[in-house]
Amino acid sequence: MKKHALASAVVFLLLGAAAYGALFVAPTEKTMGTIQRIFYLHVSSAWTGLTAFFICFIANLIYVWRREPRWDWLAVSAAEVGLVFTTVVLVTGPIWAHPVWGIWWTWDARLTSTFVLWLLYISYLLLRTLVEEPDRRALFSALFGVFAFLDVPLVFGSIRWWRTQHPQPVVMGGSGSGLEPTMWYVLLFSWGAMLSLMALLLRARYEFEAVRGETDLLQREAEGM
Amino acid sequence: MKNLNSVFAAYLAGWGIFFVYYISIARRTAALRDEIERLKNALNRGK
Amino acid sequence: MSLLSNTTALLGKELRTEFRSRELLTTTVVFILVVVVLFSFTFDPGSNESRRFAANLLWIAFLFAASLMLQPCFLREQNNDTLSALRLCVADPFAIFAAKLTANTLFLLLTELLMLPVFSILFNMPVFPVFGQLVLVLFLGSLGVSIVGTALSAISAQARMRELLLPLLLFPLLTPVVVASTYVTVGLLDVAPFMEWKGIGFLAIFDVVFLTALWLFGEYLLEE
Repeated sequence: MKKHALASAVVFLLLGAAAYGALFVAPTEKTMGTIQRIFYLHVSSAWTGLTAFFICFIANLIYVWRREPRWDWLAVSAAEVGLVFTTVVLVTGPIWAHPVWGIWWTWDARLTSTFVLWLLYISYLLLRTLVEEPDRRALFSALFGVFAFLDVPLVFGSIRWWRTQHPQPVVMGGSGSGLEPTMWYVLLFSWGAMLSLMALLLRARYEFEAVRGETDLLQREAEGM
Repeated sequence: MKNLNSVFAAYLAGWGIFFVYYISIARRTAALRDEIERLKNALNRGK
Repeated sequence: MSLLSNTTALLGKELRTEFRSRELLTTTVVFILVVVVLFSFTFDPGSNESRRFAANLLWIAFLFAASLMLQPCFLREQNNDTLSALRLCVADPFAIFAAKLTANTLFLLLTELLMLPVFSILFNMPVFPVFGQLVLVLFLGSLGVSIVGTALSAISAQARMRELLLPLLLFPLLTPVVVASTYVTVGLLDVAPFMEWKGIGFLAIFDVVFLTALWLFGEYLLEE
């Protein structure tokens, strides 16, 4: 219990430091002004979400190979946590867009791709609720998870090349273009803080899955009596 | 600093989502642990 | 027996089964027509812009039709309990997938080619000047839909709510195919037609990636 509390405290501090950096350390951006500071939360969440989905992908592969339930537990945890981070991206996007362009949603390449990514992993979780037998559920969702992750670069690529013909507000103003060094440091630190949060959430979710496994076992034993 | 409200709103929304998720996991895990205790007691009584 | 001969034999079975009754093909063609008519009510087909919408509409209609057409793919085997027999017949389980996805691609392509003249008339889009290129994009797009759809239909056949599950899993995965195919098709059917070869290349890459993935993981989809 104490280790948990300590870890949570560390993550909380890192997040606080990252927010401080975003609000006070990072220089104000020329074109958009203060509102641009959402960028540090928005982009670091996006990268962390993708990291979580990558962990899900690896867990899926290992499960197909080894068939040990703990890899399935890791996969579903990583998918759910990734989905949470992706939700934050989709929520902060409109909060950013509205003051700047007066509209809540822009079909800009990154936001659209993130939406599709979100739908992909929602489907992954829905698939899991619709297959009853646990081993089959784990196997099928692992295979779908592999397909889904392979699809991710194709989704981002196709939308970037063929869905941005019309002039549209670009929510991130072309990442990397004209980012001062200080901005890079704040962004990377934010990402680090987000990764620590991801690790915390992953461990908590994985534990829940493990405990659920134990409960199912005990329940079957109790019913067998 | 105009639009600072929006920046705060974004951070609050983001952290809010993480917090709600973390709490929901913690509560469900606690509920499961109680269930395990209950099942273990039931099994012990049965033996 | 080699993979190729197994696949060809199974493909023959798939084609014979379908052409005996032709129920899948006829139902799919009629379905696409119904969808097209319904969609035409949502925009003004007479205006100049409608050419762009019509080209996109083509692909939406095909996608919906495909998601329905792919349902029986493995469901039929499951209902008749023939899957284990199939597995025993072939050395490489990939032959089963190869045969089914080839058959599905052919069926899809056939319905699309049947629909092209109808589209051409309904929306005043000349398709014959660019017919060859259209067939190419239709083929590569349909192949992508079939590869992913055949794999997913093996999953949905064993899940609950399969009629909703298959489209739910299929459509997000096929986003790259839809984006690229519609762009190429819109270009070909434009007033000043042009060919987006980058899109064709992209579709080919998509097909290769998922065909390889299916080849590597297909046998697990068929596990008992």
